[in-house]
Amino acid sequence: MLKKIFVLFLLTVTGVALWQSFRHAPFGENRVGDVENPETVSAFYLKHSPETLHTANSVTAIVVNFRGFDTLGEVTVLFLAATGLASILYRRKEDEEEEGGHLPVRVKLKSSTLVRTGAKILFPLILLLGIYVFVHGHLTPGGGFQGGAIIATGFLLMFITYKRFNVNHKIMVWLESLSGLAFVLIGLYGLVAYGSFLQNIPWTGRLNDLISGGLIPLIYIFIGIKVATELTNVLDTLMNTKPRKK
Amino acid sequence: METVLLILHYAGLFLILLGSVFLFLGALGIYRMPDLYNRLQAGTKASTLGAMSTILGVGLIQPSWFIKLFIIVIFIALANPLSSHALARASYKAGVKPIITSDTDEYAAVADEAGRPKTEKNTQTL
Repeated sequence: MLKKIFVLFLLTVTGVALWQSFRHAPFGENRVGDVENPETVSAFYLKHSPETLHTANSVTAIVVNFRGFDTLGEVTVLFLAATGLASILYRRKEDEEEEGGHLPVRVKLKSSTLVRTGAKILFPLILLLGIYVFVHGHLTPGGGFQGGAIIATGFLLMFITYKRFNVNHKIMVWLESLSGLAFVLIGLYGLVAYGSFLQNIPWTGRLNDLISGGLIPLIYIFIGIKVATELTNVLDTLMNTKPRKK
Repeated sequence: METVLLILHYAGLFLILLGSVFLFLGALGIYRMPDLYNRLQAGTKASTLGAMSTILGVGLIQPSWFIKLFIIVIFIALANPLSSHALARASYKAGVKPIITSDTDEYAAVADEAGRPKTEKNTQTL
């Protein structure tokens, strides 16, 4: 009973606090404004991403340049999620040997010849598509996160098709760490050379060229590698987890 | 040159129409067919042809996209039958019984040999 009253009290306090702070917020009002009006944010982005950054894809310009710091945060969130998952699912070597057998339970039956051959053909194509998506992130829809996720699906295909398909964990972890570090280093370069974190270089190339947008494609390539290796590591951890013996 | 483009345009429109019809038939098949295997084959065959001809039709209307779209078509031709094959095989081995009016089930011996769990219950809901 006391607990219920306490919960009710807490809910009331939270509700009143939220109501007080959002009372004057103009909900439903168009605060981004209209594209034609040059004073609004959207007009600023649409005007400046092709003109000063020479990036054909305005979304990429916002994600990687105008809001690059947020993207660094997102990459960190992904990194933390992967690390947390690995630490939850981590089993010591001795435990595994006690239970016997090296083969994880992920695949019981052999996949058919058709699936194995097809996966072999599709795997490099999927990797190529993923790389294409994140290399062209500043020109076409897509980018580092999407390309990385596509590459991870390729690895997932191999994991579920082949019983003994393994990725080299050390190389994956190194690639992930180095690409994350490269992202931060690019940001620091902007800080040192031009006075603000993740500041783009002035040499940006021509609009709609593959090499354009200054540092944006470079950052997206690193994000792509980082997301791909991270998601692959997550999949590998999940696939190699054995159910606890009762 | 212009007439060639016009012919390509109409050929593309025809292919898109054909593709839409096949996609519709595929959707109808998934809704109407009685069991998993029938639904799978309706979904796969119709949607493979439907998606391929729709994409090729777009490629004919817009010739500068043709190469990219052709690569997508090849990808669909590789991936779509493969995935449905894996799905059908996995569900057969997991014990989903097909609705068979005659007594022929030639795959049963092969699947049992490969270690299919022995379940008598028909898990398929109609």
